[in-house]
Amino acid sequence: MALYNDGVGMAPSDLDHEEWEMIQDIKVLLPGFEKHRGNLIPILQSIQEKHSYLASTAMEMVATHLSITPSEVFGVATFYNQFRFHPPGKHQIKVCLGTACHVAGGDIILENFERKLGIKDGETTPDREYSVERVACVGCCALAPVAVVDENVQGHMQPSKVEGLFVQFQIEREREEREKAEREASE
Amino acid sequence: MIKLIVDDKEIKTEAGNSLLQACLENGIFIPNLCFIKTRQHPHASCRLCFVEIDGLDRPVTACTEKVREGLVVKTDTPTVRRLQRTAFKLLMSGHPCEAKVCPVKGSCQLIRIAKHLKVGLNPKPLEYIDREVEEEVDLTFFTYYPYRCVLCGKCVYVCREKNGHNLLTFAQRGFDTVIGFFGSAEPVDLPCHGCLACATICPTGALIPKPELIKEAKMNP
Amino acid sequence: MSKLELRERFASIQRESERRNEEKNKESIPTIFIVMSTCGLASGATETKQAFEEALSEKSIKARIVPVGCLGHCYAEPLVIIDHPTAGFPPICYYQINADRARILVRSYLEGGDPVLKYVLGAMEENDLIPAVMDFPRFSLEQRLVMEHCGHIDPNDIYQYVAKGGYSGLVKALEAEPEEVIDLVEKSGLRGRGGAGFPTGRKWRIARATEIDDKFVICNGDEGDPGAYMDRTILESNPHQLLEGLAICAYAVGANRSIAYVRAEYPLAVKALQKAIKSAEELSLLGPSILGTSFNFEVSVFQGSGAFVCGEETALIQSIEGKRGMPQHRPPFPVEKGLWGRPTVVNNVKTLSSVPSIILRGPEWFRTIGTEHSPGTAIFSVVGNVKHPGLVEIAMGTSLRTLIFDVCGGIPKKKEFKAVQIGGPSGGCLPSSFLDTPIDFDSLTQAGAMMGSGGMVVMDEDSCMVDVSRYFLDFTQKESCGKCTFCRIGTNHLLNILDRITKGEGREKDLELLETLSKDIKDGSLCGLGKTAPNPVLTSLKYFREEYEAHINEKRCPALKCRTLIAYYIDLEKCARGCEVCVGCCPVDAIFTTKGRKKAIDQELCVKCGECRSVCPPEYDAVFKVSPPELAPIIERPPEEKKESKKSAV
Repeated sequence: MALYNDGVGMAPSDLDHEEWEMIQDIKVLLPGFEKHRGNLIPILQSIQEKHSYLASTAMEMVATHLSITPSEVFGVATFYNQFRFHPPGKHQIKVCLGTACHVAGGDIILENFERKLGIKDGETTPDREYSVERVACVGCCALAPVAVVDENVQGHMQPSKVEGLFVQFQIEREREEREKAEREASE
Repeated sequence: MIKLIVDDKEIKTEAGNSLLQACLENGIFIPNLCFIKTRQHPHASCRLCFVEIDGLDRPVTACTEKVREGLVVKTDTPTVRRLQRTAFKLLMSGHPCEAKVCPVKGSCQLIRIAKHLKVGLNPKPLEYIDREVEEEVDLTFFTYYPYRCVLCGKCVYVCREKNGHNLLTFAQRGFDTVIGFFGSAEPVDLPCHGCLACATICPTGALIPKPELIKEAKMNP
Repeated sequence: MSKLELRERFASIQRESERRNEEKNKESIPTIFIVMSTCGLASGATETKQAFEEALSEKSIKARIVPVGCLGHCYAEPLVIIDHPTAGFPPICYYQINADRARILVRSYLEGGDPVLKYVLGAMEENDLIPAVMDFPRFSLEQRLVMEHCGHIDPNDIYQYVAKGGYSGLVKALEAEPEEVIDLVEKSGLRGRGGAGFPTGRKWRIARATEIDDKFVICNGDEGDPGAYMDRTILESNPHQLLEGLAICAYAVGANRSIAYVRAEYPLAVKALQKAIKSAEELSLLGPSILGTSFNFEVSVFQGSGAFVCGEETALIQSIEGKRGMPQHRPPFPVEKGLWGRPTVVNNVKTLSSVPSIILRGPEWFRTIGTEHSPGTAIFSVVGNVKHPGLVEIAMGTSLRTLIFDVCGGIPKKKEFKAVQIGGPSGGCLPSSFLDTPIDFDSLTQAGAMMGSGGMVVMDEDSCMVDVSRYFLDFTQKESCGKCTFCRIGTNHLLNILDRITKGEGREKDLELLETLSKDIKDGSLCGLGKTAPNPVLTSLKYFREEYEAHINEKRCPALKCRTLIAYYIDLEKCARGCEVCVGCCPVDAIFTTKGRKKAIDQELCVKCGECRSVCPPEYDAVFKVSPPELAPIIERPPEEKKESKKSAV
């Protein structure tokens, strides 16, 4: 009997859809990695790259594959900034607080995002639309202060630009909804 | 045997021993929390066992120094004491002493160290800091009290030695570091069967066993 | 195998590189080089490239678009170089070329032959028509060794690096005995560019001398200083020079395996490096029996998961082994017992990238650059309040003044220089009296800063030194691995004290406490991170003590930066009747209309973001900032106003 949860006996109904998908994926992914402790971080990275976070079951499966305890996987994963344990929002906002951005008022930008969304740094809005996190330097210091919104670097941020970004999101969302409605109507 | 001089007294010890080991064997107490005799590579994290060695310009930790013939060591210089007291105060600032409820009050290492350093169990002139950790955490066979934990890492080490695996590990990072246990296995399935090595070695009463569960695990190995 | 055969095999690679070059030149069509490294992309280089492509195809103009790495001139991004061989101009460097400007350049220059002077930064060669960039101090005062080819070649094309003399250093090394290679590096006086400045040759010699055969070489590219990005630029712009240095190092110490540790936050750098490894392997410049010799060498990339402490070599090794990146007590040093217990040389990206030219041009040549005890060049990412921020490579020994005022153009907006922070979280803040300090390992350490990773933040009069110290302590406190008492808890106390000082809650004894605690953390910590963490506090306390005192004694922030200690107000004399600009921009609706349709700030609601001050039209310039906040005149918000603003919010 497997000592730890390896995801084998689990049914889709036990979990939400996302986690179920992650587990199916990991089953395919793990055999590609040699059972070597040095592969722990690369495995976690490839899971997160695809699924944006690490579910508990995922970490237990990795532990089983590498013959180490889930505690060890958890201990390593929680040490590094890169790993997340909850699904992030649809739009990921990263506010740079590198030295140059700090001097240029990066904390004010972060505060504006937090206030606008009613969440704190590291959190996700309840509707899972947005998550905000602070990052230490994205290396675009000449554009400070900088925010990275969905992988796009926004340089020379200002509180009013924060507002502008949300107006854009709003427009996009409305357009999507409209298109969806139109599609449904035509069907 | 190697001969060395500690606080003007000649002591003898076996080659290969650490300086801290040599002193403790010879009845010279040097404050320490993370030292384990059998540990090959010292953890060197508590930063309490500072000593001064003739010929070195700054204090070093005794756990990381190997003994050498003719070494001249001082364990109570003002610099040594200053560093030890600061390290101790730093630890106490995250370890509010609750003498009334403390389960290990008599045997607590911190009390012994405080007496040795002639300081109180408070962090003065530093302030208490809020570690924002839970009061108590359920770790299958134990209850873990993060506020009491000084993160010496002895439990993590003995767990690995005893079971070949780390059922206990450090989790999180930096100021948020705690001792963690993770996984969905039932207590009876854990390979340690409640071996208690971790709770026994804990110097500050941060791991308190749950007798009922251990009994059960021992009965159904 | 003979040296002759080795040379012959390399010569055939060089010939292929030449052939490719000639083929390109045969066709005399314009070439557009676009800087496509991270900062370029952040500034919109993708859109620029797309605009060029569209405009070229619309006009049916034949031209080559070559993405290149970073030149280091971040202020000028997106940067484009156009070589138009038939126009009668030398290759021209253009700055801040967005999509619109790209279209204009195609229309005016490529089609019409007019080089559009207003977008020109300078010509890339000396000529009679357009001033050359080499004559500008930002170019002429630099001395490029490590970044010599960055921005001039396509990082994905190994032949372009070979055309610049690349991999000749490796060939020369392979012709010599490993000890001879170490001799050269030792004679050159090269010191580790990771911060501490340990002599590279000595490190290699120790590793060479160990009896274990299976050794490792690790390239440390875990650039964690929040303001330094030179390693990333080198990796993105010229990964082959690093690989060449890595191979030479491995050959010299007798290692066959190497790991390049690069932050996962640098996806472009990871990709460029992986691509470079593959193409070097294809040409047998890496891999089994390199160029037919008996030297086997494989390189793999490990992506660092984001922990500043992993820049420390023992922590870095732990992390590669799949563990928590916690530093280990040294000795044993990694060169004796490192990765998987094997002797391991850990060298920084810049150190390794300096090696090929030392081998090729000789240690004597290398020693002509820089100072006696710090030969070679230093690379800084100069950011903050300077006119021309970016990456600068200068000879060691250059003064801070030259670097900040001549190379980087000095402080913009007619502000005064206040301090320069060197070495990031481990470094220190130096005031103007240190501007003539030469930049080298020993002088900077003596001044209380340190070379560190090469991050340099220039600060003008609007920067608060207490706030900057607090910022760095916040960083190190978050990035402490949590292993040892001093660093884990000590930095937290320092941060708490600084925090209360910036909030005006500082106490009389705080400065003394900061000093003694800092000193103990320096002496008591286990690894370099803790030992250097108090540096920003100690240096700023030493040079800017009166600023700390103003915060504590007068509850005043002299630089008007600490938000709890300042207030914004609108001068009713200056405020324009009926102008609503500030009202619209305030994110918390704190601005209301008062007597005479002028505006005032509700101090209770104000979050002090300063947006109103930056949008107030310059002809009025009515918004002021004061410290302590009590200096701001209080204007009561009329009750009906309060109601109305609530209504409008709904």
